[in-house]
Amino acid sequence: MKILNIQRMSTEDGPGIRTTLFVKGCPLSCKWCHNPESISPSSHTEWISVRCMGCNTCIQVCPKQALSSTENGIEIDQERCIACGKCAEECPTGAIEVKGINRSIDSLYKELIKDKSYWGKDGGVTLSGGEITMQSADSLLLAKKLHENNIRVAIDTCGFCKWETLKKLVDYTDIFLYDLKIFDPKKHLEFTGQDNSVIFENFELLAKECKEKKKTLWVRTPIIPRATDSDENISSLAKIIGDKADLWELCAFNNLCKDKYDRLKKDWDYCSSPLMEAARMKELVKIAIDNGGKNVIWSGMTKREE
Amino acid sequence: MAKYQDAIKQPGNLSPRVKWLRDYYFEGVDRPWNNEYSAYTTGTPWDTQFDEITYYIVPETYPFIPTFLASLKQISKEIPVDDDFWKMSIPERKAFFTKKAAVEYLPMEVLPGDLLCGARFNMMYSMCLNKKEQAARDKLIKDARKSMLALHNHGYGNSGATSGHLVPDYAKIIRHGFKAEYEKIKSLYEALSEKDKNGRKGNNLRAMMTACKMPKELAEKYSKFCISLAEKEKDPERKQELLVMAQNMAKVPWNPAENFYEGVQSLWLTHMLVMSDEKYPGPGVSFGRVDQYLYPLYEKSIKEGMSKDFMKEILGCFWVHANTAYDAQIRVGGNQGITAGFGQLLTLSGMGKDGKDMTNDLTYLILDVIDDMSPILEPKPNVRLHNNSPEALMDKIVDMVCRSQGAPFLLNFDERSMAGMLRESKKANIPNLINEENVCEYAPVGCLENTMVGNDRSGTVDSNVNLLKAMELVYGNGRDMLPYLDPMSGKWTPLTQDGPKTGNLKELDTFEKFYKAYEEQTKYVLRRMVENYEKSENIRYNFNPTPYLSVLVNGCAEKGLDVTQGGAEISFVTMEAVTYATTVDSLLAVKYLVYDKKECTLEELVKALKSNWKGYEVLQNKALYKAPKYGRDDDEADALAKKVMDCWSEETWKFRTKCTGRQFRPGMLSWNYWIGNGFILKASANGRNEAQFLSNAICPSNGADINGPTANSNSVGIALGGNGENGDYQDYFNCLPNGASHTITFNTSLLRDAEHKEKFKSFLKGYTKNGGTALQINILDAEVLKDAQKHPKDYRHLLVRITGYNAYFVSVGKELQDEIIARESHKTY
Repeated sequence: MKILNIQRMSTEDGPGIRTTLFVKGCPLSCKWCHNPESISPSSHTEWISVRCMGCNTCIQVCPKQALSSTENGIEIDQERCIACGKCAEECPTGAIEVKGINRSIDSLYKELIKDKSYWGKDGGVTLSGGEITMQSADSLLLAKKLHENNIRVAIDTCGFCKWETLKKLVDYTDIFLYDLKIFDPKKHLEFTGQDNSVIFENFELLAKECKEKKKTLWVRTPIIPRATDSDENISSLAKIIGDKADLWELCAFNNLCKDKYDRLKKDWDYCSSPLMEAARMKELVKIAIDNGGKNVIWSGMTKREE
Repeated sequence: MAKYQDAIKQPGNLSPRVKWLRDYYFEGVDRPWNNEYSAYTTGTPWDTQFDEITYYIVPETYPFIPTFLASLKQISKEIPVDDDFWKMSIPERKAFFTKKAAVEYLPMEVLPGDLLCGARFNMMYSMCLNKKEQAARDKLIKDARKSMLALHNHGYGNSGATSGHLVPDYAKIIRHGFKAEYEKIKSLYEALSEKDKNGRKGNNLRAMMTACKMPKELAEKYSKFCISLAEKEKDPERKQELLVMAQNMAKVPWNPAENFYEGVQSLWLTHMLVMSDEKYPGPGVSFGRVDQYLYPLYEKSIKEGMSKDFMKEILGCFWVHANTAYDAQIRVGGNQGITAGFGQLLTLSGMGKDGKDMTNDLTYLILDVIDDMSPILEPKPNVRLHNNSPEALMDKIVDMVCRSQGAPFLLNFDERSMAGMLRESKKANIPNLINEENVCEYAPVGCLENTMVGNDRSGTVDSNVNLLKAMELVYGNGRDMLPYLDPMSGKWTPLTQDGPKTGNLKELDTFEKFYKAYEEQTKYVLRRMVENYEKSENIRYNFNPTPYLSVLVNGCAEKGLDVTQGGAEISFVTMEAVTYATTVDSLLAVKYLVYDKKECTLEELVKALKSNWKGYEVLQNKALYKAPKYGRDDDEADALAKKVMDCWSEETWKFRTKCTGRQFRPGMLSWNYWIGNGFILKASANGRNEAQFLSNAICPSNGADINGPTANSNSVGIALGGNGENGDYQDYFNCLPNGASHTITFNTSLLRDAEHKEKFKSFLKGYTKNGGTALQINILDAEVLKDAQKHPKDYRHLLVRITGYNAYFVSVGKELQDEIIARESHKTY
């Protein structure tokens, strides 16, 4: 399985305290993405400026001459880089990281359960993205192994996958964290790079399946300025979601990932977008409820009120 | 203007009386009266008051010892003594003199509205020695001081026979009064043979009998004083209060307390005189499980109609009294002498027999008082949690944690702690004193040091060893790695063969050999500590009895031995290891850099350390960022951590004091030494520069715990022995009976709403299973701290926890402030 990292004592990826597995590769490429390093399914190399001591070891050890020293620091030619990890290994300060490491299911399992004592009655393991269903065979194996050892599994998914993949996961999953972002298909395509019909079809099927098999279904909608934060979008989503979700969480946009885009040398449309206002989040919750949404809450950082 | 001042904890619902007293206390030197030291002398020209050995564990005071000695002598008031005085034994003289000073000379005060008697207790009284004895003591002191300074200057650590750090048997005084103790000691004395009566046993028991009368006579004097105040009092309500106080003082602590008010009054007066007797304010003299032993009186008073509000007022007064311990040094420093915690610890909740939870209504009442009174330093509450702690208690605790900057209490974890106490029982073969039945009665003292109650003095701060020193001796083949500076003389000390020769660097060609050398040097370092300790232990044994405290520690009267002579039934000296993670990480770095990755030779590494990493920055960074570290729940690193722990803790049990026969036991407190000693110990292989802080107690090195609080806690639990079959208690292992200080800083966001409070509860429950013996929680926002640095005046009461004690953030040094800010604050998004 190709993973990004494991986050322990996560309090934001489902109920209770959780250990979250983030994996590499996502079929969507949302313009606001908070983990842009997770989008590409292949491994890549990143340079973290604040950690660098300027020794140029990385340049010297690279077998492909992909690294160079510029006035902006170390530049990595992603075309040449084969993500062999040599530079990361030799870097004395950990300023170079390879994103996307292959790990066996057994070794992952062993690490994922280390916090079992802290999970309490609600917590467990969350399999998250990129998009966990992209590695369908491995995710199924892992979820199965966790489930068989009485560990509560949460699947955090964008829903853009074959229905079969989700269906198979249901038996080994306790809770789905399902993203519904934009109702309007054109707009969805514009902001995420993909059509949303599969996502909504899968949602209907999953909701039915969860009800039958008594699994929990949480819907999450990121509230992104100009993309998902309109009254219409929320009211339209509300009509679809209705009472199908056990919880619908509106997650306020945050801008903590600016550095990640810098490292990827990518422009980010949202780098100067301010945080949402708490009042607006409350308004959206009201709209969601007024249009049939049940158990709607909002979360995330908002502007500090003076 | 301070931006975040509103975010700082403010005191809660205090009654006007308690609010006035609390505010008055914080007026500090502006108060018309305070509890500054009163010094008394027998008037002999050789007399001294200041007992420097109790400060041998406080290196900051070393340069001031001559000043303290001279100035206290100078301000001493003479209490005339007659020839008969000098015919008595030393303990009898001390009992007599302390009583006379406390009863006849210490001024008395009752503050407006105060409900408790017993105001002045900080005393520096005469050594009560004749010329010959004083000369003998002075000679021993000279040697002890020299040894102590050498130990400190060369980076071994410090040790000295120190006051307090125990839970006296206050419960028996509240229940039966000093009268019963007096009768018991008297009959023990009368049962002695004539020879014993004239010998040490007789001397000690006569001294204890005199000491029993000290609280009686002082209370009677307060009783009369209250009557005289009542006569002058115009307000009828206050007049009535003063008359009740007079009645209380006519009764307790000599007689049994019969209601809650009398119980608290008895407790306070009994407690404060321990500090007088030991000439030391608040040195970890701890109250133990107050919510348990005061509960019968609480229940009775509730039935008799005493209101909870009145009980809170009584406790509020108690809180203010406990804080006046700090008045001893009221003119020192910038914060009215309130520098850090003295550690009058009180324990709440916890397990009873068969794992039953002992939380009761009084537990919650006291938690309310803590909540209302805080931020305030004393007494230091410690809440005992276990696998069956009730949800209501957990909710209350989490709620209090999230409304304070540093939790207003320390959390103790019963299963792990009790495992340690049972290990101690096995190691010392004392199953009659500590066993499955009574181990639940344990209580922490000082900061978090676990002991049994009422019969246990385990010198929990008496010996503080830098494990890292052993690494330096390996590099130097038994010599210091580099010469050390004597700060007094300004001279560099020559290198001498102090430790064993464990091989020159070339010979240490495998990690196994290197580790073996480390083990050898560790044994030497521990032996040095023990040898140094013996010197001050011997002085105290011969010249510094505390007969009053001995009355309160079971075993002393029975054995006819003062508590300073090893009279307590349970009598250990605790070896507190400092620099644990720095040492483990240094060993891991040596293994990684020299033996596994062959980044450099051992000679090159030592060269780099000698040059304080200058010119070796690449290697230093590899040590810092590439070598494995303890605190990440990394099985391999933690296995070495466990090995290091076993090495020094097992060796510690082998030592015993000569004069008092006290066995050494292991623990990890490290108070503030991890800061100061960082300036003494040279650069270390984990990538640390000289003068940078060392690791704190059992905590991972700063910044090393990159996998978050759960991984950090798992590592701590594993280092202590982890869990498994045939544990010391249930499936819990613990090789440190004293326990270990563990601090984790959380960001405020982790507790932002009800849902997250539940998650935090879940973390605490997990910690109970996997973690250490005690946890201190800092809930801090770095932004708030930075603002406090800029506007110290607006944040005077911003309380943080540093290591086992609270401190006011603005009163600590800039370096430490920076350190607290820099410490990883575990954000979750």
